[in-house]
Amino acid sequence: MRRGTGFVEVGWEEALGYIADRLKSIRDRHGPDALAFFNSPRCSNEESYLLQKLARVVVGTNNIDHGTGAYCNNSIQVLDEMIGVPATTNSIGELDLSDVIVVDGVDLGLQLPTVGGVVIRAKLNGAKLIVIDSRRHRVAESADLFLQVHPGTESVLYGAMAKVIYDRGLRDLGFIRAHCREYGAFLARLQEYDLWSAAEECGVSPAQIEEAALIYARARRAALLYSTGMEARSRETIRAIVNLALLCGNIGKEGAGIYALAEQNNLQGVCDMGMLPDRFPGYRPVICDEARARFERLWGARLPSAPGQGAREVFGRNSGWNLKGLWLCRYDPVNTALFGDAAKVLDGMELVVVQHIFLTETARRAHVVLPTTAFGEERVSFTNTERRIQLAEKVLEPVHGLTPAWQQIARVAQLMGADWRYNDSSDVMEEIGAVVPFYSGASYENLARDYGRQWPCTKDRPLGTRFLFGEQGPARRFKFVPVPRATSRRAAMSQEYPFTLVLGHSLYYWHQNVLIRHSETLKREYRILLLDYPNGFVEINPEDAAMLGIKDGAQIRLCSSTGRAVSVARVTKEVRRGTVFVPYFVREVEWQMRGAGTGEQLIPVRIEKVKE
Amino acid sequence: MKARLMRSEDLAKLVNAIRRRGYEVVAPFCNKGRDTYYDTVTDENIGRVRLHVANPYYPPKRFVLPPIERLLRVKRANGTYGIEATYEAPKRAIFGIRSCDVAGIYHLDRFYLGREFPDTYYARRRRELLLVNVVCTDAELDISDACFCVCTDTGPAARDHFDLQLMDLGAGELLVVAGTSAGEALFEEPIFTKATQEHVERRRQILSEVRKRFKTTTCWFSATVRYVSQGSVPEKTWEEIGNRCLECGGCTYVCPACTCFTVSDRPTGRDEIERVRIWDSCALGGFTRMAGGHNPRKSVHDRRNRRFFRKLAHYFIQRELSMACVGCGRCAAVCHGDVGMPSVVEMIRRAAALEDKIEPVPADGR
Repeated sequence: MRRGTGFVEVGWEEALGYIADRLKSIRDRHGPDALAFFNSPRCSNEESYLLQKLARVVVGTNNIDHGTGAYCNNSIQVLDEMIGVPATTNSIGELDLSDVIVVDGVDLGLQLPTVGGVVIRAKLNGAKLIVIDSRRHRVAESADLFLQVHPGTESVLYGAMAKVIYDRGLRDLGFIRAHCREYGAFLARLQEYDLWSAAEECGVSPAQIEEAALIYARARRAALLYSTGMEARSRETIRAIVNLALLCGNIGKEGAGIYALAEQNNLQGVCDMGMLPDRFPGYRPVICDEARARFERLWGARLPSAPGQGAREVFGRNSGWNLKGLWLCRYDPVNTALFGDAAKVLDGMELVVVQHIFLTETARRAHVVLPTTAFGEERVSFTNTERRIQLAEKVLEPVHGLTPAWQQIARVAQLMGADWRYNDSSDVMEEIGAVVPFYSGASYENLARDYGRQWPCTKDRPLGTRFLFGEQGPARRFKFVPVPRATSRRAAMSQEYPFTLVLGHSLYYWHQNVLIRHSETLKREYRILLLDYPNGFVEINPEDAAMLGIKDGAQIRLCSSTGRAVSVARVTKEVRRGTVFVPYFVREVEWQMRGAGTGEQLIPVRIEKVKE
Repeated sequence: MKARLMRSEDLAKLVNAIRRRGYEVVAPFCNKGRDTYYDTVTDENIGRVRLHVANPYYPPKRFVLPPIERLLRVKRANGTYGIEATYEAPKRAIFGIRSCDVAGIYHLDRFYLGREFPDTYYARRRRELLLVNVVCTDAELDISDACFCVCTDTGPAARDHFDLQLMDLGAGELLVVAGTSAGEALFEEPIFTKATQEHVERRRQILSEVRKRFKTTTCWFSATVRYVSQGSVPEKTWEEIGNRCLECGGCTYVCPACTCFTVSDRPTGRDEIERVRIWDSCALGGFTRMAGGHNPRKSVHDRRNRRFFRKLAHYFIQRELSMACVGCGRCAAVCHGDVGMPSVVEMIRRAAALEDKIEPVPADGR
C-alpha cells in the first residue's frame, strides 16, 4: 500500500478491506461509472469472469475492457454481425488439409510462430500459399503468390478479388442460396470495383490480383488468416474478408474457414468472458433487454444497460471524463497503451488498484499493489485462438503468501457485501459454464482429459467442436455486408509527404518489453538492438533509399504534419517501396510522428537526409 | 565388456539399487499422448518407470549442462570484492538415456573436457554422473518418425560411453552390458544371472531387425558432410534454408549436442552480483555480434548456415572426435519451418546433385 512516496507491506485483509472501502466510497459519492475495471489478454478466464462480474454486479458499471480491446473489437463486431460467432471458425491443425492458405497482414514468424510453422509445412505438403502484406516477412518468402500491397488498401484488394470471382462465375451459388442472406445488396456494391483501378490503388499488378482470386476461388478448401491485433485493420477490411469467404462457400468445411488470429494467449478467452464494455460473457450485448434480463436472473442483481468506457476512452488524449478509480489486473497501460498518456491519467485518480506479478511502471503509480501468483502457480484456464479452452495445472508452489488474482477479486466482492462463494477455481468454471452456453460442457474434469476442448463445448458435445457450422448450418443465415469501394488514398498522398509510415513490432521488442526484461537471452538480444540502434531505426526499401541517396546506417530525419524525429536508416527489401517501417521502439519518435494519443497507424511522412 | 541377464520385472529393483548407492536417479516418464519428460525417481513414482517410452522432447543434456548455471558470486564488503566460485554437482544417474543422447553427452565431453582448457564446472558434474542406456528396440514407442541415428552412427544401440546398457530381448529378458567399472559394480545385485552366447546372438538379430524399422533414413548424410566440408553447397540453398527459419532458436535448445553458451552478470542484492552461464543459440542475431558492433552473421541464412557448418563440417568432427549431430530428430520435430537436420540433408543433396548435373553432349557433336 502507498504511504507517502513509497510502498509499505500490509496484510491481505487490510489491503483488500481498504480497496473495498474505497470502491464503495467512490461509487457512493460519484456513481458506479466513476470506476473502471481493465485487464490484459494474458489473464485467465476465471479472473476475467470474476473481474467483470465484480464491475457489473457489485459495483454496477460496464466500464470494462481488456488492454487490446481498442483493436480486436472490430473483429468481434464484424464476425458477430456476419457469421454470428466472433472467433476463428476452424482449427489450426486443419490447415494441413487446406488447398489454399491466405495469410493477410500478420507476420506469423514474429507473432505466432507455431501457426507459421503449420502454414509452412502445409505449403511444403502441396498447399498453395498466398501472402498479402506490405512487409516482406519470413512467411512471405515461402509464398506462391506474394501481394505486397500498400498498407491500408486490403479492402479494395478483396473487393477486386470478389469481382473477378463473380465475373468468372466461380462463386459457390449453392452455398450462398442455402446459407446466406443479403447477397443482392453485396452484388450491387461489388460493381464499384474495377480490377485496373484496384491494382493501381493497392500497388500490385492486375494479373496478381486476378491470379489470387482464381487460386482462392478454385480451391476446394481455402483458409483465410488475419490478425485481430493489427491496429490498422478496419471493419471494412474484415467485412471484405468474410464476404470473400462466403462468396466461395469457405465456411463450415474442414480445412477452410476464417482465422481471426489472437496474438495474446487468452485474447479469445477474455472476450468470451465478457471483458468488454458492451457485451456480457458469451457476447450478448448489454443494451439487449432480453440478454440483460437473463443475466439479472443469473446473477441476482440489477445491471447497467448503457455500454461502458473502454481503455482507449480512458487513456486517450481527450478523455477528460469523470473517472475516479481504476482496477488494473495484470495490465500495464503506462508501458503498453500506445493511444494515450496513461501515467497522467493514473496520477489523477483517487484509487488505482494493480494486480500484477511485477512492479511495473503502472504498479508504481498504484495506491494498492496486489502481488499475484504466476502461470503454473495456480489452476486456471485459457482459451486460445482456435477456441481451445485449456486447463493450466498448478505445478509450483507460489512464493509464501501470494494468492491467485481471482481469489483477491472474489474477496473484495465479499467485503463489499456480495455473497460470493468459490472454494476453488473449478467452482468459478462451473459458474462460467452455467452463464456462457458454449462453455457449458467445459468442466475442469472434462478439460483435464485431453489438451483442452474447443468451444462450443456443451453438455451434448463434451468433446468440443473442431470447426464451426459443420453438422448444422448457422443458427441464422450468414450475412453479406456490402463494402463500398474506399475512396482513393493514393490521390490524397501529397507531394509533401510521399511515404507511408507504418508502426509495428520487431522481434525482440514486444509490447514495450515488460516481460522480455526478465529473460536473460531475450534481454541480451534487446540490449544489442539498443546498442546497434540507440535512436531506433526506420526501415526503408533499397530502391527508395538509392533514390534519396541514403545508405544503410545513415542518419535520416522523418517529418510528418505533427512533428519530426531523427533516426537511423535500415535499408531492407522487407518493406515495400513508398512505405517506411518504424518499430515501437523509442517512444519519442512515435509520439512526434503521429502526435501523442491519436492512435493513427498509417502516417504520411517525408524523409530527409541529415548532413553529418 | 561384461554382460548379464535380468528379468524385466526387476527394473524397479535395479533403479532402487542405484538409488541405494546414493544417486539421484532421473528417468523418462509418460505424460499425455507422446509427451514424455525426465523426472527424479521417488518411492511414489518408481512404479511408473518404463523401459520403452518416447524419447523426451528435452534431452538429458541439462543434467551435465544446466540451461542457467551460477558460476560465481561477487560480494563487496569492507571496500574490497570477494569472489566465490559456486559448484553444484550432485551424484546423479540418468536411467533410460537413449543411445543418441549418450552420444550427445560424449560430444559435450569432448567439447568441455577434451582440449587444453577443461571446464571445471562441467567436469565436476560429469564425474558424478552414471549413464544407464536403454537400446531402442520397440518400433512404436522408442523410434519416432524423425529418428535417424542409423545415419549418424549413434544408434539404435550405443557402442560405448555408457556405464550400463539394457536391451529388451523379449520374453521378459533384458541383456545388460557394463561399459565401465561403475556399471559393472551393479552386477553384484542378486537380480542378475549369466548371459549365454545364445543371448548375444539374439541381441544381434534384434538389432539387425530394428535397423529396418526407421522411418527417416537420411541417406546421403556422409555425402552432405562432404559437401558442407568442401563448401560446395550453393549459396541459394543456404538462402532457401534461411528463409524457412523463424529464428525461434528451438533447434538449439532441444539439441543434445549443442554446446554454446553465453555469460551474464546480474545483481542479486545490494553489493552483490552473480555470474551465470546460459545456453545460447546461433539462431539469434546477437549470438555473433562483436563488441565493436560488427556482426559477421547478421542475416538469417548466414546464421543457419553456421549451425549446419558447425554440425557437419569435417574440421569440427575431427576436433571433437564426434559429430555434433546424433540423429535424435528433435530439431526436425521442433522446427516450424521444417529445416531440421533430415530436411536440410535432403535439400543439400538435391541442390548438390543439380549443381553437378552433366549436360548431355548434343548428338551432332557440336
